[in-house]
Amino acid sequence: MTMNDRTRTIALGLVVVIGMTCAALLVRRLDTLRPPADPNAIDEGLYVNGKMARRLSLGFNGLAADWYWMRSLQYVGRKIMNSEDMEIDRLSDLNLKLLAPLLDTATELDPQFQEPYQYAAVVLPAIDVNEAIRITKKGIEANPNAWRLYHHLGYIYWRQRNYQAASDMYGRGAQIEGAREWMHAMKAKMAADGGSRETAREIYTRLYEQATEEIIKETAHNRLLQLDSLDQRDSLRKLFAAYQARTGKCPNSWKEIEPVLRALRVAVDASGAPLDPSGAPYVLRAGVCEVDLDPNSKIPKK
Amino acid sequence: MESTAAITQSTTRTESRRGKLWRIAAIARNAFREAVRDRVLYNLVLFVLLLTGASVFIGELSGGQERKVIVDLGLSAMLLFGVFIAIFVGVGLVYKEIERRTIYAVFSKPVGRGEFLVGKYLGLCLTLLVNVLVMGVGVSLALLYVSRGWDPLIPTIWPAVLLIYMELMLLTATALLFSSFSSPALSALLTFMVFIIGHFSADLKNLADSLGSSGARWLFTGLYYLLPNLANYSFITPAAHGRPPALEFIFGTALYAFVYIAVILAAATLVFGRRNFK
Repeated sequence: MTMNDRTRTIALGLVVVIGMTCAALLVRRLDTLRPPADPNAIDEGLYVNGKMARRLSLGFNGLAADWYWMRSLQYVGRKIMNSEDMEIDRLSDLNLKLLAPLLDTATELDPQFQEPYQYAAVVLPAIDVNEAIRITKKGIEANPNAWRLYHHLGYIYWRQRNYQAASDMYGRGAQIEGAREWMHAMKAKMAADGGSRETAREIYTRLYEQATEEIIKETAHNRLLQLDSLDQRDSLRKLFAAYQARTGKCPNSWKEIEPVLRALRVAVDASGAPLDPSGAPYVLRAGVCEVDLDPNSKIPKK
Repeated sequence: MESTAAITQSTTRTESRRGKLWRIAAIARNAFREAVRDRVLYNLVLFVLLLTGASVFIGELSGGQERKVIVDLGLSAMLLFGVFIAIFVGVGLVYKEIERRTIYAVFSKPVGRGEFLVGKYLGLCLTLLVNVLVMGVGVSLALLYVSRGWDPLIPTIWPAVLLIYMELMLLTATALLFSSFSSPALSALLTFMVFIIGHFSADLKNLADSLGSSGARWLFTGLYYLLPNLANYSFITPAAHGRPPALEFIFGTALYAFVYIAVILAAATLVFGRRNFK
């Protein structure tokens, strides 16, 4: 390589590096000049429905289903991130109108893909329970031997307080080869005592164990914490009743019953207030023997 | 005396057949070397980058479905890259030889036009085989990485890889057929259309069943049987769920591919044999 060649190579290399840097800087500048994106663009309807998408996928339907699945997760995730102080159990406030079509398209493209069905069963009822039922039923039709789908549909019915339908679903799922033993127990529990806290604990524990997606795990975890908190509040009310029986009045501050709480090994903060399962102090309604969750508590209120 | 003549004739025929196979193998070897020299296998670098990126980052985006996504992505990329190679290299196999006038040198030797076509075809099939095998190993390694050890999906992807390879063989033959009588651009377009229609074959049949006019029904039924049914080679999605095709199905599709390729190559030889290079 002659001197001239070397100089030319270095010069061209420099043009490439400097040119790319300038282009990147220009893009950054243009980003600031561009008008802000339409906030409603995220909710723009899907142009292609599930059946059409399947036709157009040319054998790449699995990959297209993955894309729609990831888009569903991004859609919910972005909505949660954009809203301040969003509780994961109050998804109905997020206007997730695209979630059902996204999950429907994902399952249309790949009917054996189980995760979107689970997502539809757990997350979608807060937005559109009929769509959640329709998509889960579609999953059962496409995968009659997938016992988990019966568990998901049973869960939706249970949330609707339709315990008989939930029991039937658990019963049908339990008969499938490979179904877990607890499906039988759930069938009986739903029929006998569907509205009990014990049943709720069982269902959320199973949901937590089966979930692979973070939002579903978190929902189940929060519901389990809520059940623990409900138990704790019942115990606290019993303590108030005992205190009232002894002194003739309800406690006006936590300090008054703090020794009892400490004796029972209940976790308390510096003011003597007992802590809920998320670590926030309970709020005492002075003089009425009632206890509430702290407004900042992570425990679902409803 | 008669038996000596028969033996001599049979020996000559065997030698001639051996010579034919030898010539086809030589052309195939050459076509493979040419593809390697043309850096066709460089697409593997892109494939490796794609899979590595997917293995590392897809876990965060897919909600715990990284194994399924890796299989879907890996096998889809294998099919897509393979289709591009089959089409764009396939249509140039014959055309380049004519353009460079090297075809005269080939045909000045005792090489038949059919042997030339089959040799070229097998050479590209060999290139695609190497491509598909390396990609299959890549997907398996990516699965080993995300599962932190053995993954039960690994053995189930290989039948799907085999079906993808058969589909690519069919497409290569189609590209060769079109390139034997038309320009590379038109051949590429026509082959790509065959790829698309081949995946719509079920719709062709449904269309035929739902049409009232018997003429149209015959037309679409005819097209359904005439065009290659590539939908039978789409086993990527079931593979991602750990469901390999039945052995009987694989044999059936292999037989279909063999018969169809034989038909296309015969047609290509017929057309190419009548072509005048003067």
